Amino acid sequence: AAGLCPCRALLTGRSGALRAFCGSVRGLAAAPETHFGFQTVTEEERREKIYKVFESVAKKYDVMNDSMTLGIHRVWKDILVHKMNPSPGTLLLDVAGGTGDIAFRFINYVRSVRKHQLQQKLKHHQNLSWQEISESYQEDKSKSLGDSQVVVCDINKEMLKVGKQKAQHLGYSEGLSWVLGNAEELPFDDDQFDVYTIAFGIRNVTRIDLALQEAYRVLKPGGRFLCLEFSHVNNPLLSRLYDLYSFQVIPVLGEVIAGDWKSYQYLVESIRRFPAQEEFTAMIEDAGFFKVDYQNLNWGIVAIHSGFKL
Amino acid sequence: VRCQLFPPQRPLQASAVLRRVSDEQKEPLASSSQQQFDSHPADHHPEQEPQGPRPSYTGQGGQESEDYESEEQLQHRILTAALEFVPEHGWTAEAIAEGAKTLGLSVAAAGMFHSDGSELVLHFVSHCNTKLAELLEKEQKLVQLGEAEKKPTEQFLRDAVEARLRMLIPYIEKWPQALSILLLPHNIPSSLSLLTSMIDDIWHYAGDQSTDFNWYTRRAVLTGIYNTSELVMMQDSSPDFEDTWRFLENRVADAMNMGNAANQVQSTGEAVVQGLMGAAVTVS
Repeated sequence: AAGLCPCRALLTGRSGALRAFCGSVRGLAAAPETHFGFQTVTEEERREKIYKVFESVAKKYDVMNDSMTLGIHRVWKDILVHKMNPSPGTLLLDVAGGTGDIAFRFINYVRSVRKHQLQQKLKHHQNLSWQEISESYQEDKSKSLGDSQVVVCDINKEMLKVGKQKAQHLGYSEGLSWVLGNAEELPFDDDQFDVYTIAFGIRNVTRIDLALQEAYRVLKPGGRFLCLEFSHVNNPLLSRLYDLYSFQVIPVLGEVIAGDWKSYQYLVESIRRFPAQEEFTAMIEDAGFFKVDYQNLNWGIVAIHSGFKL
Repeated sequence: VRCQLFPPQRPLQASAVLRRVSDEQKEPLASSSQQQFDSHPADHHPEQEPQGPRPSYTGQGGQESEDYESEEQLQHRILTAALEFVPEHGWTAEAIAEGAKTLGLSVAAAGMFHSDGSELVLHFVSHCNTKLAELLEKEQKLVQLGEAEKKPTEQFLRDAVEARLRMLIPYIEKWPQALSILLLPHNIPSSLSLLTSMIDDIWHYAGDQSTDFNWYTRRAVLTGIYNTSELVMMQDSSPDFEDTWRFLENRVADAMNMGNAANQVQSTGEAVVQGLMGAAVTVS
């Protein structure tokens, strides 16, 4: 681990050159090169390696998240859903949503909003006829979600399997579907969804620009793109502590808890490789989104990017 | 400042919604009151079909200012559409979401605004102020053309405040909520500035040209009259708000009398001082 001190300047320079290279010779070269953590690989190799990483960590994914982030990832995901502020009737597409964390939070949020709405309605109707009362009871039974739906899409079968098991275990059944699909080429029609979220998934996508374009395509006009992802810490002291923790502690945790040092080494490296807040904002704008903005959580350890299809 | 129009360099797709904004604005330029207060005329079409790549300046600044204008226009349209749903949902993100739906947008578009409904209230207040200014402008033109009599100040103030307060009538049920939103700390700068500019407009059209301390007194007094009348209107249940208009009449009359009283007090004060001086001279 000591030998993997990240020379960020050198590597980002290199990755920049690599990206330009990939862009220009796309279609000509047989194997465009990209990065896997701090290694250089071809795009196909990268997709395979990442698939294997998540295949092997799937069962311990949630446990590892809790131990690596000391449970704070739950707060980050709560903040994401709060920012979304979904109203009943919203259609959500959660990409790379494997184990369902965002989907379950969405369902809980919409349920409570719906309950509040129904309470308000009843409060205002002082003089209900018997007809109206019986209708409101029927509505309660059938529409606890108010037509909201969430589709969880992931490229990895193992992650989806874990997600489905979790859903069954926690009792989520209504308004939830699981689809196997690639973020770079989504199996959905245009203009389908109100909100597209991708939480801690986009840095594992090999062609981020394609994923952003797909996001734009499947969103309805007025729809919202939300991305929760590890990002760049500006504060130098914090950045040093964070690097120390990432490279010294996390792979060790990975070995001890999941028996897989390499996957968590990849995780930490992939975080360093992901573009910083402003650069990612520019990429989102390039895909056609408007009013693109970001919010740092924990001083930039994590950032939520938001954009609208206008 | 006119900004230059360049097609944004979107590689594969042009904007999905904003083009429609510019298309629709081509048609009803004349009558609708929405257009009158949209400050940007419809010739700012952001998304005409790009005729091949324009070679010149497409820096982020130019692109953003062009997009920023049309984003604002769209936001105004959404807020205007949302007003229709305020009586039912109140001044909330839900009303904005319903408004977005009527424009063919996803409900997620309400995410562009604060979740406390602030922008909706401020938009409405600004809209009412603009309508009031236009009304007063029209009346002034009629007076200038000799087609109407110039009203005495008291009458003018009463009519202007009544006209402005009447704009609240469709939303009167939810207006207390709006007032509380306007008083939120982060909204106070905007709401205060809207209030003062409205009062300023009224005095301007009333013909006030004072350049001394009177300027401040007049505005403070009228602000007080307006605010108290608004509060009385909140809990007025008389037919067509008669009680409110009577209250307003009395307050404006008080204010006029106060002006006279101030003058009287001053002259009395001067007389008293002169008397005392005379007495002092006589005694010494």
